Amino acid sequence: MKKLGFTVFLLVLSMVFVTYVFSAGQAEAKREIPDKLVIGSLEPLTGAHAVFGSEAKLGTEIAVRHINEAGGIKSLGGVKLEVAAEDCGENADTAKLGAESLISKHKPIAIVGLYISRLTVAASEVTEREKVILMVDALVDSVTEMGRRYLFRPGPKASQHGKSAVEFVLGASKKSGTNIQRVAILNEDSAFGRSNAMGATESAITNGLTIVYQREYPYDISDVSSIINDIAAAKPDFVVHCPYFMDAILFANTFKESGKIPKFISGMGACGYTDPESINALGTTAEYYSNTFSYNPAKDTAQNRKFVEDFRKETGHIPTEAGGMDYYITWTLKEALELSGRLFPDDPLNPDNIRKAFLQLDLQSGPAVDTFPTNRITFTETGDNPHARAVILQVINGEPKVVWPFDTAETTAVFPRPDTTY
Amino acid sequence: MQNLQTMKQKRSIPYTAIVLFIIALVLPILFRRSQYNLILLTTVVMYGVLATSWNIIGGMAGQFDLAAGAYLGLGAFTSGTLLIRWDITPWLGMPAGGLIAIGFAVLIGYPLFRFRVREVWYALSSAALVSVLRVAFLMWEEVGGPTERYIPYHDWSFYHLRFSSYIPFYYIMLILLVIALFINHWLSRRKLGYYLLALGDNEDAAEILGVNAQACKLKALMIYAFIGGMVGGLYACLYGFIHPKFFSNTMSLEVAILGIVGGMGITYGPLLAAAILVSMREFLRASLGGQMQSLYLGIYSFVLIIIVLFKPQGLGALLRDIYSRLNYIFRKESPKP
Repeated sequence: MKKLGFTVFLLVLSMVFVTYVFSAGQAEAKREIPDKLVIGSLEPLTGAHAVFGSEAKLGTEIAVRHINEAGGIKSLGGVKLEVAAEDCGENADTAKLGAESLISKHKPIAIVGLYISRLTVAASEVTEREKVILMVDALVDSVTEMGRRYLFRPGPKASQHGKSAVEFVLGASKKSGTNIQRVAILNEDSAFGRSNAMGATESAITNGLTIVYQREYPYDISDVSSIINDIAAAKPDFVVHCPYFMDAILFANTFKESGKIPKFISGMGACGYTDPESINALGTTAEYYSNTFSYNPAKDTAQNRKFVEDFRKETGHIPTEAGGMDYYITWTLKEALELSGRLFPDDPLNPDNIRKAFLQLDLQSGPAVDTFPTNRITFTETGDNPHARAVILQVINGEPKVVWPFDTAETTAVFPRPDTTY
Repeated sequence: MQNLQTMKQKRSIPYTAIVLFIIALVLPILFRRSQYNLILLTTVVMYGVLATSWNIIGGMAGQFDLAAGAYLGLGAFTSGTLLIRWDITPWLGMPAGGLIAIGFAVLIGYPLFRFRVREVWYALSSAALVSVLRVAFLMWEEVGGPTERYIPYHDWSFYHLRFSSYIPFYYIMLILLVIALFINHWLSRRKLGYYLLALGDNEDAAEILGVNAQACKLKALMIYAFIGGMVGGLYACLYGFIHPKFFSNTMSLEVAILGIVGGMGITYGPLLAAAILVSMREFLRASLGGQMQSLYLGIYSFVLIIIVLFKPQGLGALLRDIYSRLNYIFRKESPKP
């Protein structure tokens, strides 16, 4: 009898546990929102990438607010959007769990996320199986090379960032009459860093530059003095560097301490040097550093000014890469839904119809383009936007200013660095 | 009298285990409509396997091992690489990963145990293995490198171990769990198990009594590493890619925490801890993670602190106490001290 008692006890305990674990999921799964379309925001809100994920989520939230204020999706009878946000954590398992959880509980029409490529890859298996549109804000080139049908990336990919960084330096050197021939390429050793460096390398070779130094390093590196010494020994005219956050601070401080500063140091990939957190951390050391951005905070349009103002109200600073990108990504999604509503009035929310709408989309005006670095958004079969291009921000007097492309620049780039030592 | 009760309770375990196993078999059928619930179940079972195997080296032998991520990563890369490069089925890749993990376990375990590296020094050395492997695989371009390597997608392929549903993954993980639990249970009744428990209790005293500490600990480490490697092979197929980030110190620490909080040396303790803590963490993440960032981690940490403060013997011991007290209330039997 005793063994039966213990078994019954364990049985009851198991049932209580199962009910506890699945009660939230079951209850949420029944929720239907017939008058609202749910947009999932799945970003890293904890861990090393939380600083980017939090602002990406805010970008989506502000965009949804603006879309709703503007009347929602008009071709769908003015249906309003609603954001359901979840934390995708730092690992593949939490990313996949997050995607499953969002889809299971909220049945989103699309998910915006996940900023980090390997998390995006993990979650994209889920979105693909469930036929949920995944609007990607991760930059690594390979994300759109996996044959995913429901994945779209309006922003520039990492290699385009690397290319833009080199093209900017070449353009600025021509304008200032500075002779630039030798380049050092540096990147942290993730897929993100490498994709950026590939773009920079290709552009350097195409433009006839000599690559005198190239190095990958782990982003959690603790001492970069030997790298700085090696760079100085190679005597490059400029350095193109793809850091994350802390390593950018380390490099900038070590460049300053060593007194070995090339004519220019250009970041690529939007992390480090010119974002508000980095400027705060570096103080005056951040001066003259530049980086590539997938979003142009200085674009002179009413929509962009409105977004910058709203973002600043919430955070105290201008939109970052992640925030800006998710803002125009969400507007692009809205335009695709509008088009799907017009093209397929009988079944506009069918994921295959939304995909067709994305492929037919050709945006050359409107809020998405008003906040986009270039003036056109279309999509290839792989989900990339062939018209995407990065802009360059440079820290001038403690403020990040858009200095490239020159025709839409906010101010003139300071080039070469006034504090160059060789 | 107390020994008699323990023996009777021990005999009742297989009967209880069968009932729990039947429940575990039925769960995916009950929750088949929600892929989220299925992957959550699979994840809970996966952490259960890792924590249960950790119990052999950590709970029984008393070695605070922090290398679960290393063995999982080795298994993932072995199985994943065999599949991606030569289309070799993960059914072979998983045991191959387990064997590679054993190789590395011997490589690190032999010198550590030979030179009597213990306690915090052993923990640091095992954690270092994870970091070293992560960096090595990042630099080893032919197999690793910084870019993800994708495992070809198949809707439903037993050969490639790729499915559009989590149900097969759950059942395979469940088999690994049963194996891990069985090994724990079997060891606890064998000479090696008694030696490991003695070593975990007081290594010097056990050695004076003639226990070969080096050999026993190495055997425990090899069993643990093999199971970790097998799980790694399945992990790669479950997530569809391999990446050096799989060599994760965070995951290693989490496995050790589950082993400790579950109750050192209690066979079902780590599984109980995985079931409660992993599902609670996920429940909190899904409920609070999007709105109040990081709050769920704070609550999770708070729960861990409470458990460690008020029941340092672990959740397994707590379950045993609750059962004894209920027995006392309903049958008026004296609760075990």
